[in-house]
Amino acid sequence: MAVVAQAIAPAGGDKVDWRLAAPLGLTYLAFFAAPFAILLGISFYADAEQTRLGLDSWTKFYGDAFYRKVIFDTLKLGVFAVLATTLLAYPLALVFRASGPRVQRLLIFIILMPLLTSVVIRTFAWIVILAREGVLNQTLMGLGLTATPLNLLQTELGLVIALTQIEMPLMLLPLLTIMNQMDQNLVDASRALGASKWRTFFRVILPLTLPGWIAGATLVFASATTAFISQSVIGGARLVYLPSLIWQQSMVVYNWPFAAVASLTLLFTVLAGIMALGWLGRFARTS
Amino acid sequence: MQRSTPGDVAYAWIIGLLAGLGILILIGPVLVVIATSFTTSQTLKFPPPGLSLRWYGELFDTARSAQIHTAALNSLWVAGLATAIGGVLAVFAALAISRVARPSARVLEASFLSPLVLPTLSYGLAALMFFSVLGIRPSLNLLIAGHLVVIAPFVFRTTLASLSQLDPALLEASANLGASRLYGFRRITLPLIAPGIAAGCFLAFISSMDNVPVSLFLSTARTAMLPIRMWGMMETTLDVRIAAIAGVLILATLILMIVMDRLTGLTRRMSG
Amino acid sequence: MTQMNRRDLLAGAGALGLASLLPLRASASGSLTAAIYPGTWEEAYRGVVAPALKKNAGVDVAFDALFAVDQVAKVRAARGVPPFDCFVLDPGPAAAAQAAGLFEPIDASKLTNAAKIPTGLIKSHGVTCNAQVVGIAYNPKKFATPPKGWADLFKSPYVERLGLTGFQTTFGTVSIIEMAKVFGGSATNVEPVFAELKKAVSKAAAVAAPAAMPGLFQQGQIDIMYTNTNTVATLKGRGVDIEFIKPETGAITFQTTLHIVKGADNVANAYKYIDTAISSEVQAALQKQPYNMVPINTDVKLVETLDIKSLDELAKMVTHDWTVINPQRAAWIERFNKEITK
Repeated sequence: MAVVAQAIAPAGGDKVDWRLAAPLGLTYLAFFAAPFAILLGISFYADAEQTRLGLDSWTKFYGDAFYRKVIFDTLKLGVFAVLATTLLAYPLALVFRASGPRVQRLLIFIILMPLLTSVVIRTFAWIVILAREGVLNQTLMGLGLTATPLNLLQTELGLVIALTQIEMPLMLLPLLTIMNQMDQNLVDASRALGASKWRTFFRVILPLTLPGWIAGATLVFASATTAFISQSVIGGARLVYLPSLIWQQSMVVYNWPFAAVASLTLLFTVLAGIMALGWLGRFARTS
Repeated sequence: MQRSTPGDVAYAWIIGLLAGLGILILIGPVLVVIATSFTTSQTLKFPPPGLSLRWYGELFDTARSAQIHTAALNSLWVAGLATAIGGVLAVFAALAISRVARPSARVLEASFLSPLVLPTLSYGLAALMFFSVLGIRPSLNLLIAGHLVVIAPFVFRTTLASLSQLDPALLEASANLGASRLYGFRRITLPLIAPGIAAGCFLAFISSMDNVPVSLFLSTARTAMLPIRMWGMMETTLDVRIAAIAGVLILATLILMIVMDRLTGLTRRMSG
Repeated sequence: MTQMNRRDLLAGAGALGLASLLPLRASASGSLTAAIYPGTWEEAYRGVVAPALKKNAGVDVAFDALFAVDQVAKVRAARGVPPFDCFVLDPGPAAAAQAAGLFEPIDASKLTNAAKIPTGLIKSHGVTCNAQVVGIAYNPKKFATPPKGWADLFKSPYVERLGLTGFQTTFGTVSIIEMAKVFGGSATNVEPVFAELKKAVSKAAAVAAPAAMPGLFQQGQIDIMYTNTNTVATLKGRGVDIEFIKPETGAITFQTTLHIVKGADNVANAYKYIDTAISSEVQAALQKQPYNMVPINTDVKLVETLDIKSLDELAKMVTHDWTVINPQRAAWIERFNKEITK
């Protein structure tokens, strides 16, 4: 306690207090960095029994067109989720900006509510909605738009619809923050100069809110590509993404080296997506 | 005031429609689940043919739903301890680097936040392999360690944000008046950053209760966790009890959210 | 990593106060963990065997829901630190696990009910706990005429409502082999059925994990599937419209066995668990609704709800040689997984 007492009040300190940073730092080294090191190490075993070292797991994964397609499909799913959430989140953020404080609070509540509701429950909700006798099919048939129920579960479309809802709060929160900070004078100026609302949106609002969109897109991309429960329950066995491949190889087939390769590939995929978005942000700022 | 061109009218309509669709898509599923949980039917048919508390009765039946109760208690235990331990460590870490402009502080900050963006599914598998190589048997303690790592960043981030808004003059004033550093921390810093810590702990707790990627690999038959159990039910029986669990969890979250909003201004915090 | 390093690392982890913060919940003396198939089996063993074991021997059992192939893989991956004490396996995985030395030998004198089990059903390394019968299940309200045989599954209107599942389970494997035979293949040549599967995948109502099939059927996502009589009876018990039919080429049967995992923590309790599972009291309860498991204890009188009249019927059903199937199965699983995603 004495150490804490000495160290604890950072009255504008100019040095990192290592005594205070150490507990979390060491915990991370032991339980975060070390496991990833082990993961990397195991990926260099050549066989499922982990008896031989070699690059076989890596070459088998990247040499097979099937697994390359799984990587591509995972990336594609992330991109679709980002596009779909963007399409709905921007209008919602614009409405939010134009609303009074009371409506704003209500909207925040509506956005936070699903975010704080378990992902498993939100996935389950989409089963009820997309099922053969579910809400959507009942509505479509009631309106006479289709005679027989559509199969929406186990399709990429159904999965993207579900992920749109599941990930949308992650896109909205940073977007709302930046919308509220945006200088209204710039919008007014654009309108005063005779620009249409569309032009104002694309030439003024979009560039100004891009940093918020990039933050949101990063979160949505990272989350959608790793959404194991939604992918497996709504996607079914016909749609294979990296997370379900990792699950199957590690917990069903017990080929740990291969699962490690798939797992590191997921890590690289997500990091590549994040870096691409960051690069886009820098590019937008300089041009 | 300008005259509205057809383009501007279309803009207003399209934005309005998409925003409406957005709100519908956000809130609709939650309402559908709640409605379904009161059905009289064996199936997830919507709209429900009749309303009853049948599935809540089944859910609270200690004999028939014992597995779910065990999983819920395990999840609460792990979330509580992971939040408590991770929260303390994260607050210390935030104090350590707050207001420090050096590169070392930035590196630490990025490291402490990294579990938020790295795929936790990869981490879950890595943790399983790590503990297996060490020969440690699966237990709730391993789950606490695994959860702690992925939820500590929430507390770290909100505490750091609260600290950055502190007025250093306050602390200097207390130091000038001869107060000890610990006294200054307890009487001035802590009360001011407490709402930030509480908001972070709330998010951390919720996130642990909901965690799939880590529990998927570290939980076993003896240490079943609620989300994993629910996933199992979704994969196999698909019975309406899942909707009843959803109803209970949504209600609990709602109450917690309102309490947290009163205490810490959560909604203000989230909108920046 | 040397032993010394490993101990140091453990000590380091302990010093962080996380591994040693709480007393480990050591497994109590009166308990064991048993693997069980997800679905009907899990419900049956939780509902009947667990309470009987608690009452008769004071032993608590925790169940780990896993299919046979997954159980064997999990024990192999654990390398001497078994994640559970007892297997429940079908003939194929049982043969593979025995070859890999994953079983403790069975001492029949430790089973009080051994005398009531027909000779041959208690083996050197396993105890038979019941028989399974596999065929086609369909929703009688959705089809004007019931399907007759395996080939019908690939024809309209059945294929559009079919739930497909692969080789991960015994019932899936033997069903697909029988389909292959109908299309001119054999137990060593399932190529003809892959051609049919490829065409059926895009039309089928669902392709999912075997454990997902009963739920999908109950929710009306699929209306026809291949499965065992236990699952059909369970769904019927829940009020689902479902009927079991024996395909023209005959229903399939195989025995399910319990085994003690090599190096298990709770061998004595595992014997009590197996003894309880084959007792006449438990076997009689397991054959009734909603479980409908075919008994093997000679003291048990068959109830009428079973889809068979006497145990002699089983002798006439289709059986398979797993020494032929086992070497090919891993390749089939991988092939199926790749085929269905295209």
